[in-house]
Order: sequence, then structure tokens, then C-alpha cells
Amino acid sequence: MPNGSAKNSASVKSADAAAYGVLAVISLYCAIPFLWVFIASVDSEPSQFLAWPKEWSLQNYINIFARQDGFLWIANSLIIVGSATLIVMVLGGLGGYALSRSHGWWRRPFLYTIILIRVVPPTALIVPLYKVLLTANSVVGGIVRAVMPPDLVRPTMHIFGFIDGYLGIILVLAATQLPLALWIMKTFFDTIPRDYEEAAVMDGATLMQTIRRVLIPLALPGLGAAGLFAFIIAWGDFLMPLIFLSSAELQTLPLGLFRAYMRVNQLDYGFMTALAVIYTLPAVIAFGFARRFLVQTFGGGVKG
Amino acid sequence: MAAIELNGVQKSFGTVDVIKGVDIRIEDGEFAVFVGPSGCGKSTLLRLIAGLESINAGEFLLDGKSMNEVAPDKRGIAMVFQSYALYPHMTVAQNIGFSLDLKKVPKDEIRAEVEKVAEMLQLSELLDRRPAALSGGQRQRVAIGRAIIKKPSVILFDEPLSNLDASLRVQMRAELQRLHQELAATVVYVTHDQIEAMTMADRIVVLKDGEVAQSAAPIDLYKRPANTFVGTFIGSPRMNLLSASVRRSSDGSVEARADNGWVIVLPDGFSAFDGDRIKIGIRPEHLRLVALPAAISAKVSVVERLGVETYLTFNHPKGSIVARLEGDITVKVGEQVGLEVTENACHLFDSSGASIQSG
Amino acid sequence: MHTPMVETTTGRSSPMTLTGYQRRAAWHLKLLLAPSVLLLGTFVIYPAFYSIYLSLTNEALSGPAALNPRFVGTRNYVRLFSDGGFWNSLLVTFWFVLGSAIIGQFILGLVSAVLLRRPLRFRPLINAIILMPNAVPEVVAGFMWVGMLAGGEHATLNKIVAWFGIPSQNWLVTFPLTMIIIVNTWRGIAFAMILLTSGISSISHELYEAARMDGATPRQIFFRLTLPLLMPTIFLYMLVSTVTTIALFGLVYALTRGGPGGATEIIGIYIFNQSFTAFQLGFGSAVAVVMLAISVVIGIGYVRLLKVQV
Ligand SMILES: Nc1ncnc2c1ncn2[C@@H]1O[C@H](COP(=O)(O)OP(=O)(O)OP(=O)(O)O)[C@@H](O)[C@H]1O
Ligand SMILES: [Mg+2]
Repeated sequence: MPNGSAKNSASVKSADAAAYGVLAVISLYCAIPFLWVFIASVDSEPSQFLAWPKEWSLQNYINIFARQDGFLWIANSLIIVGSATLIVMVLGGLGGYALSRSHGWWRRPFLYTIILIRVVPPTALIVPLYKVLLTANSVVGGIVRAVMPPDLVRPTMHIFGFIDGYLGIILVLAATQLPLALWIMKTFFDTIPRDYEEAAVMDGATLMQTIRRVLIPLALPGLGAAGLFAFIIAWGDFLMPLIFLSSAELQTLPLGLFRAYMRVNQLDYGFMTALAVIYTLPAVIAFGFARRFLVQTFGGGVKG
Repeated sequence: MAAIELNGVQKSFGTVDVIKGVDIRIEDGEFAVFVGPSGCGKSTLLRLIAGLESINAGEFLLDGKSMNEVAPDKRGIAMVFQSYALYPHMTVAQNIGFSLDLKKVPKDEIRAEVEKVAEMLQLSELLDRRPAALSGGQRQRVAIGRAIIKKPSVILFDEPLSNLDASLRVQMRAELQRLHQELAATVVYVTHDQIEAMTMADRIVVLKDGEVAQSAAPIDLYKRPANTFVGTFIGSPRMNLLSASVRRSSDGSVEARADNGWVIVLPDGFSAFDGDRIKIGIRPEHLRLVALPAAISAKVSVVERLGVETYLTFNHPKGSIVARLEGDITVKVGEQVGLEVTENACHLFDSSGASIQSG
Repeated sequence: MHTPMVETTTGRSSPMTLTGYQRRAAWHLKLLLAPSVLLLGTFVIYPAFYSIYLSLTNEALSGPAALNPRFVGTRNYVRLFSDGGFWNSLLVTFWFVLGSAIIGQFILGLVSAVLLRRPLRFRPLINAIILMPNAVPEVVAGFMWVGMLAGGEHATLNKIVAWFGIPSQNWLVTFPLTMIIIVNTWRGIAFAMILLTSGISSISHELYEAARMDGATPRQIFFRLTLPLLMPTIFLYMLVSTVTTIALFGLVYALTRGGPGGATEIIGIYIFNQSFTAFQLGFGSAVAVVMLAISVVIGIGYVRLLKVQV
């Protein structure tokens, strides 16, 4: 029926137009803050408001590195979040494998605990965590002061300290991201038949050989997903650095940006927007890769 | 040299007894097949032999040496998995050579060994491919290659052909037998498929609920089933079972009166008294049509004409009977026909199902 | 080492006994899990229980109590439940969760998910734009919106609303709670959209075709077919987003630090302020314990209602 299909396609077109209308509003809502930050970051006279630049310039980006310690902040963020992500991937991979393969009585309670840990708000833990890290820090401090010459104590504590040191915040970030990674890897290994490992055992592989030569290659997609999520969340986290880092040498990107715009009377929007763009970029890229795994982290193992 | 001996082997998972005391002896170089219904413990038994599961009680001896505490890779046993378990991230050559690589055998030596095995299995062209780029039959051969490169004295197969289509299965069956002869290794082979079992095996072990129902050469299993379970498990269509009472007349003749009304004259030489309840097993191929009037007459309920043979089913509330007749036979549903049992073809079991036939 | 020959009938070992390779394998698995247990135990489980203890003391970061903390029983809790700031933070959190997670993100996410099922030409672009706010770090999001919502007639939002004749204002001062709801909605549309899209796409195509054969209108299809079948997914979304929204800190802190006058002091910020601005660790812990309890209850609901299989 040509008549019917003509009417049909007309109604499809008007429905499409309506859909575009609604989606355009939502998209503007989502995009305008980004537009401002991005445009301001390449504006030679940036302001707090969305405006077309009179003159384009990359000076703001150069300033981050030339006039400020932008390089240090990026490096700090990368070291801290990168190490935490690495720890999460290693522990999540090994632990997820163990959880998938074991039959012990502790398996179920452990898995339920992991699910519950995932709902524990980090803010509810910061006080006791602070006390725990304080204790650990004084222990480490005692050791470091005992074995290091006095002028090396401070730099050493910046690495191995639990408060205002790399080690503490790395471990805390890793611990908060580990439950999700364990869960992802456990569900991932559940889909890998045991035959592979048993074949390796029959071939005479030791545990380490099985892990290195068989399990890691098989688990790469899962490890990738677990690593991406750990990276994205730890990279965006603001609470832990706010509480546990204070020295200028340990400043990370979120702290740098936050402290910059708390200096109410001397705001440099060019600097801040450029820093925001640099800080956002890795997260957006990682999120692009992680997107397709997102549903599985909540759907995995759930019977609707 | 590798004779397998299982003595009172038991295995349980938690509180579930899966293998309940199994005694089996498989001679060196034998091709032994484990058959049995799903869940009877075939795979478990195989995995006990492989060492992938530990034995709870009893002993597994390989050439007289206890293997209970020996690590899987130190037993000289190779296993071909049902899923093949080919490492997807390795090429065919790497898959086959993996065990040698783990032992730090020099690369060129591995390559030579792999090529030798590949040639035997017609895989030479495929060595640089990954498993994903192989057909089912080729994957199967790679899995076998990975097993035989270790020069094992025993090779275990867990339903290796179940993922292949019918024609490929026939071809692989022949190939496996050829390999068995070439390698002179002891083979233990698990299957669901009784044709596979009958054609390939030197010895068939029929398992039921974690116990050995019978262990014998294929034709003995067919001719002298130790119990009704084996009788009905081997053979297709399955053996007919009739409940009956024994009648011993004063003149020395013996007959069985089946509950469905059939009266079958039996040669003596079995242990049952007058009036005992027994079970008679008659294979469908041991029934013949004869002209009426006959000792046994029955009404045809179903006719299945396959051309080369014809199946007739006779329904009866006290036991339905299937007859398998050669050639195309034109009888009609509802027709009354006369039947005769091939002489000496009845299998007799007591009411518990154990054979009571002597010899 | 060889085990002695075991007699089949009498000498059967316990069914749970593992030998050799098996026992080693089970031991290996525990070894692989040990570092995770250690990390979680030290930095999550122990602190969670320690916070219960702390909440029963007058522990502080400075002052006399810092040197010599005492056990004070339930005093912190008594004080808590008569504390206006605490009830205020609970109320703010409630409106915040309801406004952003339950209503804002959900409705916009559902609308986006449904509309983006159409084969529109700009679908990938729109998709990417909606996803961006979800990827952006908390501080950047806060920073962006401080700019958007600033006072003065040149401010971006003020310029936009001027078209509709609405007077300029300092949005974060005049409508603080509404603004943090709007910002958090902005941030979470993507998550709702992704989850609901997966839920919608798991509904069989044949059902839609059958409904069309029965003469259902698109509207009827949505309300009578899509929505009921989407219920489990919606439920999952509600639970997960409620828990994550309660736990939020950085986004709101970067925007308002809880102000003005506690108007946006969601519970996470309240804990932070009590503990690290007012230095009352014991009292902050009591608030944290309450928050922990609420989250764990929702978490148990999540496990039970969705029949999580482990
Ligand atoms: N790891 C295990 N834990 C608990 N029970 C198990 C385990 N492995 C096997 N079983 C049980 O043991 C019984 C025998 O299993 P097995 O795999 O040996 O059967 P099978 O004869 O190979 O069956 P199929 O022909 O279906 O492969 C089954 O009931 C099975 O559920
Ligand atoms: Mg099996």
C-alpha cells in the first residue's frame, strides 16, 4: 500500500524530528560546560564565561608547564593512580581467579563481603582510615629515621609514608578499587573453562607458568576492564588526596585544580581550564574504552 | 609398558559419592572404553587416572606402581579434553609444543618434534594458524597432537568426538585406531556412543552410578551381559525385557511364562527353580516373523520401515516388545503376526537383574 | 611418599580429604587471594569496625581529647540525634538522592535510551556527548559548574535564562540544593542511559513485533510492554545509583563545600567537616557509622532482591 507507507514515513520523520529536538536539549545540557572549559583553555583572554575567543592561543597550556609545576602534578597523579591501578589488576586478577576456582566454605561469605564493601561510602571510612594510616606512618617514620641520614628522611617519607606519602595513598586507592576488580575478574574467570588450566597441568606447568603463559593471556580482556575502571575512578577521586596529601611536592591534578580555584582573589581561568582539559583527557579516553564493560560490572552474576 | 589397575577406588565430592569402589584392570596397549549413562562418573574416573582429582580411597597402579600421590604431569599420562582446551593465544605449533617448551627443551628440538607429530596428524600446513582459524576436526587433531608429543604411555580421551558431525566422527574413529596402533600406548576413552565403543574398544567398561557394571571385550558384552543394565545399555534398539515365571516340567523341559502371555521354551543350564520369577532379555534382532499359527502371536502396534530393516513394536501393558527384522516388511498396524525367538538367544536374569546363565 | 594400600570396605578415608596435587592446588588458591584479603582487611574491613569503636570515644584531632581520648559510651549518638546539623544533612542527602538519582538521571537517562534506539544519523555523536559528563573527574565537574552557575549577567547560565526573561542571580547562593541536583543529574545521565539501554535491548524483538501485530500504538508499546519488562533493570539502577549518590563527596565539595549555611551539606560532607574541619573524630565516626548502616542495608537489599549469584 503506497498510501500507508507514505503516511508511515511521514510519521517516522516527524517522530525523528521530535527525538532530535529532545536529544538536542539534553546534549546542550551535557556539552555546554565542556565547551566553556575547552574554549577558555585556548583563549588568550579567558574568562569564567562561555564566549568566543578574540584570539586563539596555546599559551595557557604552555604556562602550566613553564610557569607552574604542571609537570609535577601530572607525574604525581600518574604515579599514584598508575601504581594503584597496577596493584588492583594484579591482586584482582589473582584473587578473582582464586574466587572463581575454589570450593572452600569461605568463598560465599567472601563474595558477599565484596559486594557489601562496594556499597560502603569512602567518606564513612576516612576517619578510621586516617587513624590507621597515622599509626602506620609513625611506624614507618620511626624506621626511616633510624636508618636514613636526617636530610633524606623527608624525601623517603614522601615515597614510603602513609600520610603525605605515595605509598599510603596508593594502597588506599587500590583497596577501594579492589572489590570491583575482584568481582569483574571472578565473573570473567567463571566463563573460562577449567580445561585450559588442567591441560596446562597435564603439560607439566607449575602454578606460576600456568598463570603467566595461560591464564594472563586468556584473562587480558577482563584485566583490561578491571584496570580501566580502577583507573577511571581513582583518577577522578578527590577525597583521598584531599585528606592524605598535603606537601607541595606531592600535589596531584585534582588537588592542584581545587586549590587553584579556591584562591578566590587571583583566579587564572586560562591556567585552570587548560589544567582541567589535561586532567580530563585520560579519563574520557579510558571511559571510551571501558564503556562496553560498564553494564557487565553490575549485571554480572545477577539473575533478573 | 603401561598396565592400569584400579583397586577399590572411591571418590566423593563433599557428601556425594561419585565413584563407589571401582576395580578395573586394563592391559598394556589395550584400547579401553568407558561407557555409561550421563553422570555415572566416567569423566571423574578419567580425571582420577589423570591426577586432576585426588583419590579418596583405594589405589591406582600404573605398571604396579602406586600413582595416588604422583603429580599429574609426572605420571606419563596425556589427556585430550572434550572441549580440546586449545590455547587461543597460541599457534598450532605452540599449542602442540607447549609441554616441551615448559620443560625448556631447545627451540629447534621442539620444532622438529612438533613437525613430526604434525605430519602424523596431517597438520603440517596449519602449524602457524591459531585455533580459532581451524575446523572442528583440525582442532581435534591438534588436541591429539598436544597429547602425543609427550610420548605418553597412557592417553586419556574424554568424549573426544562428541563435538564433531557424524561423517567426521567416522573418519576420526578410524584415524584414532590407526594412531593407537602406531603409538602402542594404552588408551582410555570415554564415550556416550556405543557404536564408538563397540568398534574401537579392546575392552569396554560399563559404568553405572559410580560402579563397574561389567568389564569385558565388546562382543562378550553383547553376547553375555552380566546384568540387565549392560544388556539394555549395549545394543540398539535396546534389549526387550520380559518378566516371567519359570516352569520346570517333570519331563525335564523348561519354559518361561511371561507376564504378557508369551511362552518361551528355554534350554536348561541356568540356575532357577520351578516358580521362580526371572527376567528374560531378548534382543530385537533375535525375533523372527513366522506364519500363524505360532507359539507366540502378537498384534502389531507400530511399524517403522527403514528400507534395509523394519522395526515392529508390539505394545502390551505387561511389557512392550520391539522386533528388528531384516529387509522391508509390509505388515499393517493392527495385524496379528506369529513370532519366534532365535534359538539360544534368550538372556536370563534373576529378579535383581543379575545374569543367571551359566557359561 | 606412598600411602598404604587402603581397603575398600573398611579403610575408607574421610570424603573431604584431599591429597597431593589437589591439596596443593587448594592451598595455592588461598595464597593467591591472601594479598587481596590483607589489603581489604587493613584498609576497609578493619577501619569499618574501628569506626564503630571510635564513635564510642571522644577522639579528636586537636585539643585535650587528642592526647587522651576517652571512652564515652553512646554520648556521641545521643548528641547526634539531637543535632540539627545531622538531621539537616540527612534531609539534604534525601532530597539530593531523590532529585538527582531517582528522578533527574533516571528520567533523562530513560528518555535518552529510548530515543537513541532510533537509527538517527547523529546517534554516535549524541551518545558520546551524553557520556562525557560521566567520565569527567569530580573536581573538573565542580569547576565547570561553578563557572556555569556564577553570578553576574555575563555568567553562562544567566545569559541563557535572560532569553526567557529570568533575572540574573548567583545560582549557587539562591538555589543551592537545586543546583547540586542539576549538576549531579548532568553527571549521571550516562550511567542510567547505559544500564537502561542494555535492559531495553535485552527485550526480545519478537515481542515488539507481536505487539505491533496486535495493533498497539508506540505509546501503548512503551507503557504496556517496554516499561514492565524493564522493571528489573530499573530496580537495579535505583539501588546502585542510590548507593553511589549517598556516597558522593568530591563533586559537591568542589562546588559548594556544603554551603551556603549547610544548604548542600550532604552526609559525606557533614562527616568530613565534623572530622577534619571541626576535628571531632569521635563524633564524625558516629555519623559515619549511621551512614555505613544505611548503605549496608541498601546493599543487602541489592543482594537479596536481585538474587545475586555468587
Ligand atoms: N567437582 C565436582 N563437584 C561436585 N560434584 C561433581 C564434580 N564433578 C562431578 N560431579 C558429579 O559427579 C557425578 C559424575 O560426574 P561425571 O562428570 O564423572 O559424569 P560423566 O559420566 O562424565 O557424565 P557425562 O556423560 O554427562 O559427561 C555427577 O553427578 C556430577 O554432578
Ligand atoms: Mg563426562
